[in-house]
Amino acid sequence: MTHIWKWTIAVFVVLLLAAFLVLCKMAGSPKDVYGMVRYAFPHMHRGTLKVGDDAPDARLVALDGSDRFHIRERTGGRPLVMIFGSYT
Amino acid sequence: MVQIYNDYKDHADFLTVYVREAHPTDEWQMKSNVKDDVCYAQPKNLGQRVAIANDFIKRFHYPIAFGIDDINNAAEAAYSAWPERLYIIDESGHIAYRGGMGPFHYDPDEVRAWLAARYGAVKHDPPAPASAAPVASLGSPI
Repeated sequence: MTHIWKWTIAVFVVLLLAAFLVLCKMAGSPKDVYGMVRYAFPHMHRGTLKVGDDAPDARLVALDGSDRFHIRERTGGRPLVMIFGSYT
Repeated sequence: MVQIYNDYKDHADFLTVYVREAHPTDEWQMKSNVKDDVCYAQPKNLGQRVAIANDFIKRFHYPIAFGIDDINNAAEAAYSAWPERLYIIDESGHIAYRGGMGPFHYDPDEVRAWLAARYGAVKHDPPAPASAAPVASLGSPI
């Protein structure tokens, strides 16, 4: 029984190490792996929207920091290409 | 995306939606951010987010219309848009194109292909050799 447990733990450790190495390759370094797991993963969501769904509306703020407008105000008449992102 | 905007702005509208920072200094800062001098902490209020967005516009003379997500991140949540994503909404208010989740599946060429299928392809001369000046590219690496 002890023998089986040792093998189970060994396999688990090898798989964990393999996952860590894959993440290092993806992220760039162990520090980046920590950053990715700690800060990126909780905010990354595939979402459920599909082509054909009603486009959700949201209120946005203009560059002056005070004027506001809705996404819906910019739709209709022509297609609207939306680019989500940030400076960093 | 700026090139796509310039090519198709006579046919479609474009709107940049500024969301929470992807690589702020107090979270997961990348080496490239330091190299490119793009070092900002995650905004804690709307004013800070507005200030960073304005810095971006000024640095790159970014021409595309801009809207900033409120600090409650409602637009980001509605569109599952973090860290970067592309969508096209058609004239009837429905989603006509939904891009993959960035950064690995963020693909402006898909937006170009959608627009080209509707309005025709826009050809360009081969690009000039890379210059030292950075090119405006919200979200994707410069």
